[in-house]
Amino acid sequence: MHKQWTIPFLLILCVFGLSGCTGAVDINDLAMVMAVGLDKGDTPGTVTVTAQIARPSDVVGQTGAPAAGTGEPIWTATATGRSIFEAIRNLGRYSSRRVYWGHNKVIVIGEDLARDEGINDVVDFFSRNHELRMRTWVVVTPDKASQIVATKTGLEVVPGNSIDKLFHFSDLVAEAPKIDLRTMQASYLSDGSEVVLPVVQTRLRGVSTDNPKEFGSTPQVELSGTAYFEKDKLKGTLNPDDTEGLMWFVDPPKTRVVVIPCSSSNPNQTATLEIRHYKFKVVPQYVQGRPAFRIQLNVECNLVELDCPTKQSHQQVMKALEASVEANLKKEISDAIEASKTNKVDFLGLGSRFQDRYPAEWQRIKSNWPELLSTAKVNIDVSAHIRSPVLLSTPTVPDSAGDR
Amino acid sequence: MYLHNRLSLVRCYDGSRRPFCFVTFIVTYFVMFIVTFFGAFLLHFSLRVGGWFSNGGSNVVDVQELLDHHIFHDLGENVGRVKTILVKNADLVQRDFSVREAAGPACTLFYIDGLSNNMLIDAGVLRPLIIDSVLRDRIAGSTDSGREHRPAGPHQTAERLLINPEVKFADTYQKAIDGLLAGESLLFIDGVDEALLVGTKGWESRSPGETATEVVIRGPRDGFTENIRTNTSLIRRRIKDPMFRLESLQIGTRTKTFVNVVYIEGIAKQELVDEVMTRLESIQVDSVLESGYLEELISDAPWSPFRTVKLTERPDVVAAAILEGRVAILTDSTPFVLVAPTSFWEGLMASDDYYSHFYLGTFSRIIRYIAFIVSLTLSSIYVMLVSFHQEMIPTELALSVAAGRETVPFPVLVEVLGMETAFELMREAGLRMPRPIGQAVSIVGSLIIGQAAVQAGLVSPIMVIVVAVTGISSFAIPSYSTSFTIRLLRFPIIIASGTLGLLGFVGAMFVITVHALSLRSFGEPFLAPMIPFQPSDQKDALVRSPWWMLKSRPWIAKDVTRQGNDQMPKAPKNNGSGKADLAPDEKASDGQSHKSAQGKPGSDHGDSKSSASSGQQKRAQPAGTGEQKDKTRRSRKPKKILGGA
Repeated sequence: MHKQWTIPFLLILCVFGLSGCTGAVDINDLAMVMAVGLDKGDTPGTVTVTAQIARPSDVVGQTGAPAAGTGEPIWTATATGRSIFEAIRNLGRYSSRRVYWGHNKVIVIGEDLARDEGINDVVDFFSRNHELRMRTWVVVTPDKASQIVATKTGLEVVPGNSIDKLFHFSDLVAEAPKIDLRTMQASYLSDGSEVVLPVVQTRLRGVSTDNPKEFGSTPQVELSGTAYFEKDKLKGTLNPDDTEGLMWFVDPPKTRVVVIPCSSSNPNQTATLEIRHYKFKVVPQYVQGRPAFRIQLNVECNLVELDCPTKQSHQQVMKALEASVEANLKKEISDAIEASKTNKVDFLGLGSRFQDRYPAEWQRIKSNWPELLSTAKVNIDVSAHIRSPVLLSTPTVPDSAGDR
Repeated sequence: MYLHNRLSLVRCYDGSRRPFCFVTFIVTYFVMFIVTFFGAFLLHFSLRVGGWFSNGGSNVVDVQELLDHHIFHDLGENVGRVKTILVKNADLVQRDFSVREAAGPACTLFYIDGLSNNMLIDAGVLRPLIIDSVLRDRIAGSTDSGREHRPAGPHQTAERLLINPEVKFADTYQKAIDGLLAGESLLFIDGVDEALLVGTKGWESRSPGETATEVVIRGPRDGFTENIRTNTSLIRRRIKDPMFRLESLQIGTRTKTFVNVVYIEGIAKQELVDEVMTRLESIQVDSVLESGYLEELISDAPWSPFRTVKLTERPDVVAAAILEGRVAILTDSTPFVLVAPTSFWEGLMASDDYYSHFYLGTFSRIIRYIAFIVSLTLSSIYVMLVSFHQEMIPTELALSVAAGRETVPFPVLVEVLGMETAFELMREAGLRMPRPIGQAVSIVGSLIIGQAAVQAGLVSPIMVIVVAVTGISSFAIPSYSTSFTIRLLRFPIIIASGTLGLLGFVGAMFVITVHALSLRSFGEPFLAPMIPFQPSDQKDALVRSPWWMLKSRPWIAKDVTRQGNDQMPKAPKNNGSGKADLAPDEKASDGQSHKSAQGKPGSDHGDSKSSASSGQQKRAQPAGTGEQKDKTRRSRKPKKILGGA
């Protein structure tokens, strides 16, 4: 070999030989956190971190690897510290492996912490940390966060995965928005919108297979509404019904279900419509120095369930139902806006929509935005079309029923 | 302080379980081993300076003096000298006789038993000289009896008597002995100071059989043998071109191995041929026993793990290569032929690609490109992800990898290196051991590696999968030398990835790529036609285009035109000109011919006939352009079919 290459070659060899595998940690030396809960600590000013850590050999049930014996796929550990980072480091006091955040699925924030201490610390720490992903879900719970984290829920072996999947398929219920760390950070940093986070809580929903008599005995994590923040403090919550209106603004669902009464005589008889396509548009306006909004929603839906026996044709039924669908949707949207106005919290992000359209005007009014929002004129325009009765060509009516 | 702790060797033995400790331990072990070994070697060497490489006397010089001498007139002296030079050669056969049953001069014939064909000596040398010449004299009578006792010159003897087609003259012992040792018969005639070398070469050799290293599904089954003449005939049989050139030279001062350089003049660049010849002629070694000697002696980058000369056992591959303007170097006594120049990508192409349907050819080529990437990088990517970048693994996979590694006592790097070594060990063992044992070893090997090692918790199951896929991928690479290069390069990449993670992986790939980019094979860039990008060669690179599209030869050829224009086959058209020539009855039923075609066995007949007649019609047109001629030729094809039927 040419002599001039000998020394560079040896130097390159030294890089590999002398690096000492800097930064290498084998995957089986990691305690992979699947969910983390943050609560107020017992002493003021402290925070308690609860980490749900997967125990791989019990998760996978690997042939060859001896079973760990506990049969528990997760190991939940908790530690307290003056800051989140200190609390996490304190986990290391008794964790036999290095706590690793790269696969964390969900951050659960206790309502106490969010209300009293604020989420500034949370946003800062979790977006600063290089191991965490910005696609981690963030939720708020009225229970203790540690309780949510320690609950075995859902079909997945690892409960953290269950909560993750819960959000993947939450479109169908549309009762809590899907907010990940990135979205939360974006709305936290923006002037024109406030943070909203989904609320989860444990309910006795599961039915024990071993003992069916204990109906609803096992707790399951359930989506239930939305929490909205003012600056970094929790201001209030919306129940699942109110959340439906909010979803149009924050996390537009792919499909939605609308249930309306179809019979004037019996309010328990309902028609159910599935929204297949829609167009939702918020048009900010600036009228005489005051912001105003025009909200347009065009929906196309299918009739998926009809309780009322009727001799009418589907065309007539669907035509008749359109107006009540429109009214229903209009009400839920105006309810959400009303909630935002009365609380003077812009959790619908109307401010940032206004800013996008009128950037210069926004600079003038942004300091006074919550006040202006409460008096802003909002015009809601909903039009609904029911397209198809799906597979049935005529309503399901027994012959005898037609006589009534 | 932190760095100091990391680098200190002492920490390795205090029970800390860092990967670095294992690596350092192994490195230290090897360094100590090497130092000890070389120390002992140097000590030994210094005690016996000069004693190791002495050649034990000046015998060689004496023989050279004898060889340089001119042939003597006297037969006895000649015989004595040959026996002096070739002393102690049990297979040297000496036959003394006289031409014309003792009436002519005394002669001595030497040949090496086993190198010469006894039948040829009998029928071509001894019989004409001893018996046939007498018969001829008897028939001719005594008209030229005056010349009878004059010693016949070698020229006359050769022309008149020896039936063998290949007779040469030697004036020095060097030439005479060289010929004798190459299998020719050496004939001394009393009173003549020239020796005759008669071409009686003939020895046992294998007949062309299926190749061991390059197996094809579709394609010829014959492979090269150890006999260079058989090999050249295998190529010649495929290319009947007067521009075919075969230059011969002998390399090796002691082995005097025949080396033939084969190319097609006009297709191969003259500079390339000159370069090959120059490199071969400048070789000064004592022996060439296999083409591997030559490969290393003429290679462009002697230190590189990449091989810049292609190696093949298949005559069809050599024929295709020289038709692309390359030069083939055949070496006697080995079936492996060298082809130059070559590119890296050629190692991933098989001759099947060109014989099978082009979709299949392209598909299997892409599969092989995947195999190349997998076998080069999969295990290092695994190491990198599992020990550095766990966030890049999907959660479920990360958990199952972690679960599999739960009881594995080694760090990932050591585990991978151990498994790869075990795999290479099995492969090498499978190669070396006697055939009948092979199955037993492969069963034991797969059981130990696949099942027992996992159950014992020595390796993780995913590691087994990774190593197996890597191994299978390396088997999918058609060229043995390319496959070996990839296997070799795998290890530095694994070590780099295992010590520096993604940085090391990218760094190692970078160094290898830059090195490959700097290589040239006989003046041609090693990564061509990808880098530098050669648009006209892309039709036979990543994809194998159909033959009718492969219009030009690769860029390396001097004459790049391979075939005529418009080679894409077309179905014959039943247009107006064809119909005009139809016989009246066919013309009448033409409108219904499609309907009646199903039931009528001879319905194709009309179609082909019509197109044939259209072809004849076109040929009758005077002085068509080239393109028209082409069309004419193509449309004439059905006529042949018709004629055959």
